[in-house]
Amino acid sequence: MSDTRQQTRQLVVDRSACAGHGLCYSTSPQLIDCDDQGYPVLLKEFLSDDDVPAAEAAAVVCPERALTIESR
Amino acid sequence: MTTTEKSVPDELVVDFDIYDQTLAQPVDTVQERVAELAAKGPVVYSTAHGGHWIVTHYKEIHEVLRDPETFSSYPNNLVTGPGGMGKFIPIELDPPEHTGYRLAMQPLFSPNRMKALEEQIRAHTNDLIDAFAGKGEAEFITEFAHELPTRVFLALMDWPLEDAPLFTEATDTVLLGKPGLSPEENQQAQVAAGFEMFGYFHKMVQERRENPGDDITSTLIHTEVELEGGKRLLTDEELYRMFFLLLIAGLHTTQGALAWSIIHLYNNPAQRQALIEDDTLIPSAVEEILRFEAPVTPGRRATRDVELGGVQIKEGDQLILTLCSANRDAEEFDDPSQLILDRRPNRHLSFGGGPHRCLGSHLARIELTIALEELHRRIPDYSLIAEDPPVLHASQVRGCMRLPIRFTPTA
Repeated sequence: MSDTRQQTRQLVVDRSACAGHGLCYSTSPQLIDCDDQGYPVLLKEFLSDDDVPAAEAAAVVCPERALTIESR
Repeated sequence: MTTTEKSVPDELVVDFDIYDQTLAQPVDTVQERVAELAAKGPVVYSTAHGGHWIVTHYKEIHEVLRDPETFSSYPNNLVTGPGGMGKFIPIELDPPEHTGYRLAMQPLFSPNRMKALEEQIRAHTNDLIDAFAGKGEAEFITEFAHELPTRVFLALMDWPLEDAPLFTEATDTVLLGKPGLSPEENQQAQVAAGFEMFGYFHKMVQERRENPGDDITSTLIHTEVELEGGKRLLTDEELYRMFFLLLIAGLHTTQGALAWSIIHLYNNPAQRQALIEDDTLIPSAVEEILRFEAPVTPGRRATRDVELGGVQIKEGDQLILTLCSANRDAEEFDDPSQLILDRRPNRHLSFGGGPHRCLGSHLARIELTIALEELHRRIPDYSLIAEDPPVLHASQVRGCMRLPIRFTPTA
């Protein structure tokens, strides 16, 4: 059984909203790293089912609401 | 024309003055008083300091922080700072002018660079605890909470430790004034403190210009910054205004957060016990203590007429944002006045938000985490002393000046 949706779920950072709080990459380092300025760097283009809880945890801690999970 | 008291509905007019020391002494009532303002509305008008708005709710504070075009970050303080000092860089600049300075400073305090300091911070922490652990008592501010951020900061800047008393006194004067002085005398004292600091920064800059190292002072002197007029080195005056801000923003705030950690964990024994038994709770405990007592109340100035939280703000109006009440807004936080060490999510605004979000937040989190780890490992049964209670202070950077503690002496 294959779920095609899992290939199209992505973490998306709204760069204009992100202020570099750093909570997302400390919450879910397996999915998000940071650059030298302290802004998030996404490590995976697509999220697997296993990634979703960590992605949700990262999105919910963002004080700027800059991180969302989008399905296309 | 800016807003006057007459044009504001009576029920939204208050006389709250964040600089009034009776708010915090003899007993700290800042949170209660600010909660009263928040109960009146998301935005209220104070007649203090020539009149200003106080933004109290999470949503409206967040909106202001994220809209630097409408809400300029200059002036950031209700009371005039040291005369002739100019703006603090980068906090009192607005984008796009702000951006180049910010991008030059941000990597110096980046998460990875700060993480690399962990071992060094732990060594400072344990040196300080070593000096009082055997006594069974300590004045936590002078012996720990003041010293730790100061030592870490001096190491980052590569300035001599013996110079700390000089800039401690100068930053205290700028933030709080001196007790017993009139407003005019205080302003003079603040000007004098500002000049003294600039003289000191001048000396450090000269020295590091000739003998550069890998410290922040040298890096800022020698880095070309992308500014509006093109790429160039920072002027001496720009450097001084950055250094002064780093001192004011970085030392007092961490000192306060360390003190409030002790005070609130002492007052919540079950939570403290949970933390002692499981130190993986510490990172979220740090966030919760930060939420519980945001020390900073930043200021903004409206650049145009705008509606905010149901009131009409006029161009030129001054605002302050009580982050401590945003952090206790029931719309955003369940049981906001309860200390819940494993609170999740915890989108507190103690480090602000938007383009001016605290540059030192990654360092602050590491300092607080290591301090809580080592204090609860080494003197876990600390208690406050009823007859010698903590001394706190109000102002746009709230904090703690004195905090005597007792504990079982250890080696």
